[in-house]
Amino acid sequence: MNYFVKRVGFMAITVFAVCALTFFLVNLIPGGTAELIIKHTIVGIEDSVTKEQLEQISSRYNLNDPLYLQFYTWVKKAILTGDIGTSYVFKKPVLYLLALRLPATIQLAGASMVLAAVAGISLGIYSALRENQLSDHILRVATLFGVSMPGFWVALILILIFSLKLKLVPVSGYGNLENLFLPAVALSLHSVAAVMRITRTCMLETMGQEYIMFAKSKGLPMWKIVSRHALKNAMLPIVTVIGFQMGSLLGGAVVIEKIFAWPGIGSLLVDSISARDLPMIQGCVLAIVTMFLVVNFIVDIIYTHLDPRIRYG
Amino acid sequence: MKNKRSTLMILLILLLTCAILITSGCTSTKGEETKQNNTSQYNNTTQSNTLVLGEMWEIKSIDIVDGDGGTLVCEKAAITETLVGANPDFSLKPGLATSWKQIDNNTWEFNLKNDVTFHDGTKMTAKEVKSSLENVIAKDSRVASMLKASSIDVVDDYTFRIKTSELNPIVPGVLHYPTTAIIGPSSFDKDGKYVKPVGTGPYKFDSFDEQSGILTVVRNENWWGGKVGLDKMIIKGIPDPNTRAMSIENGEVDFTADVPYSETDRINAIDGITVEKYKTPRDYKLELNLKHSPLDDIRVRQAMSYAIDRQDIAEHVLYNVGEPAAGPFLPTMVWANKNLKPYTRDLKKADELLKAAGWVDTNGDGIREKDGKPLKLNLMTYSQRPGLPPMAEAIAAQLKEAGISVETQVQEFGSLDERRKNGNWDLYLLAANVAMVPDPDYILTNWYMTGGADNGPGYSNPKVDSLIKDARKITDLNERYKKFNEVEAIVNEEQPMIIVAYYGCAIVKKDYVKGYVFDPTAHDYRINADMYIEK
Repeated sequence: MNYFVKRVGFMAITVFAVCALTFFLVNLIPGGTAELIIKHTIVGIEDSVTKEQLEQISSRYNLNDPLYLQFYTWVKKAILTGDIGTSYVFKKPVLYLLALRLPATIQLAGASMVLAAVAGISLGIYSALRENQLSDHILRVATLFGVSMPGFWVALILILIFSLKLKLVPVSGYGNLENLFLPAVALSLHSVAAVMRITRTCMLETMGQEYIMFAKSKGLPMWKIVSRHALKNAMLPIVTVIGFQMGSLLGGAVVIEKIFAWPGIGSLLVDSISARDLPMIQGCVLAIVTMFLVVNFIVDIIYTHLDPRIRYG
Repeated sequence: MKNKRSTLMILLILLLTCAILITSGCTSTKGEETKQNNTSQYNNTTQSNTLVLGEMWEIKSIDIVDGDGGTLVCEKAAITETLVGANPDFSLKPGLATSWKQIDNNTWEFNLKNDVTFHDGTKMTAKEVKSSLENVIAKDSRVASMLKASSIDVVDDYTFRIKTSELNPIVPGVLHYPTTAIIGPSSFDKDGKYVKPVGTGPYKFDSFDEQSGILTVVRNENWWGGKVGLDKMIIKGIPDPNTRAMSIENGEVDFTADVPYSETDRINAIDGITVEKYKTPRDYKLELNLKHSPLDDIRVRQAMSYAIDRQDIAEHVLYNVGEPAAGPFLPTMVWANKNLKPYTRDLKKADELLKAAGWVDTNGDGIREKDGKPLKLNLMTYSQRPGLPPMAEAIAAQLKEAGISVETQVQEFGSLDERRKNGNWDLYLLAANVAMVPDPDYILTNWYMTGGADNGPGYSNPKVDSLIKDARKITDLNERYKKFNEVEAIVNEEQPMIIVAYYGCAIVKKDYVKGYVFDPTAHDYRINADMYIEK
């Protein structure tokens, strides 16, 4: 219990620190905030901005206040009323917009993560059991491919095969299970490869242990050895890697989201940065960081279940 | 043997669980309603008279008053209409207003059509028009600054006057701008909050799914303009050009715009799909920083213009989605100076001009020098418009052949703006709109007048300034345009900015979409009421 409270406290501090850092860093990026907001909401990006427009927007969003005051106002309001601002671009409450986008992000990240975990672990085990055989080599080359191919290219090739040639799923869109398939596969590719490589390494290590030798000589069937003895012991680093991957899946799906017109939070964040939509940027970062911390917390809890020797306190 | 089988079993079981998890994960996170919606969208091809439109921007908002939905709602969804229309040559024509005249220096009078009703059935009179316009003026500072209206007065049910704070010849032109489109009072709720666009156009607002950004409109049976071609239009934002191309290839959309330029010919060759290429009122232009030597020398600027191969750029960078340019205005525009011809490539002339200016390659490294200083320039541009980075490379390569070394830099827009203000740049390649409102005064003032808002080069020519000022006082259009033609001729000679090419738009549509007419005055493209589907 004590540990839990402490942990939540640390999470709150982290969230605050990240928000502060984001706020000041965004303001450090070259280009006037008011001017860029105008260029992204009122005039086109190439068009000129008049003095009246600058004044209007600056006073509307209090951009002339010193930075620390702007940040203080934002934090105060967020803590006291739970209101984290209104987007300059969408002109809607940030919380409302996040509520619209988060399900899509969680869906995509969740599906990719499940794919990464299941495919990565099973292929890793398979590869480890076939160490240095042909299928192992093929799989290892395939993971290299998976790690090094850029996401946008993979996405386009997947569309080409599954939508245009096989006519199995639509090219883009959101809402249906068939819409989820391609983006999830495209997004998970890196993670599948990463999980598979770590699984293979860890499995090889545990498979060489004496207790595995003992299980084998006892005459246990292979699936029992792998699932009961080897995998459970190899799981710790794998879970760590999966946890890290989840972080990049949550916020880093920008390219995939754009290609598949997936209304997730990653592309929203990037667009908000170029439009200097400060409340929206803060909202996105807040959501991503919180989700990441929660995932990490869950990973830590899984640790104690995997290895009862680990105790927090 | 046994080993192999058991691992395979594990694999199978794991993959199965994976499938089950994904399926369950998905069905639990979304409602039945959206699911139904989307199935119908995907299988839309079965509904005969519904058009699925693959819009090029993400649809963020349908708020035309305080959001960026104005162009979408007016031109692409055809829900709202403007008071003033425009012909393909950019001359104005009646829209919801039948006629207008300037009755004194500060007053414009507009007469309205008397048979127009909003989608909710209420009649459109001067009263509604007044409040609609006042709303836009209050919220949209861009329209306010162009219109310069001090008051709007209702004269009778179908006549109103706009009083301007100063002489303003572009008032009718501004009222062609999509955010000035007229919306009815029921677009707002009791508290004055905007809820949905209730316009007068051929299509009525049906629904907007904020999560997936899909806007649906249906036919307006009572449109004043007569029969409307389509029953329904589903407008989806697909921001990635490659995805738009594959979506139409796969039959998920019937109409879209701007697939990757390099793909246009391949897609046009596909059975059942046509790609049409048009010029749009936007210029690819190269600004030259006149404060930097040697760009202050007119001979160097002219030489650069002669060294650039506009034809080659139009063909191999833009794949003919765009054309070589002469003056800033499209030659099809009624006020354009039709005598101007694009600079054609002439390396000999460029060489002569540069030599005359004292730039000669003395050390044989291919780059010209003067007083021991090599002719080196930097060129900055941005990547939001796909034609720009490759065009920058092409220009650099072409200038190199004339002995000018150019270093290209693609930058994020914010930092680019800052740099432009600091003045530490030589060349800036951008794509700028030339007819946000169909009137030349706006562009010439901003681009070429001393201190103009978009006069990046810092160009100043008293003759140009006085011509533009004189033109403002002239109400006779032809006399006005003569002055503007003169300005165009001067800047074409002096080249403070090199207009490289006219921007293009590639319209991609299924062959069963009939009746489409491209409107060059639209801000990307315009959906016209005559469009229908015939399978």
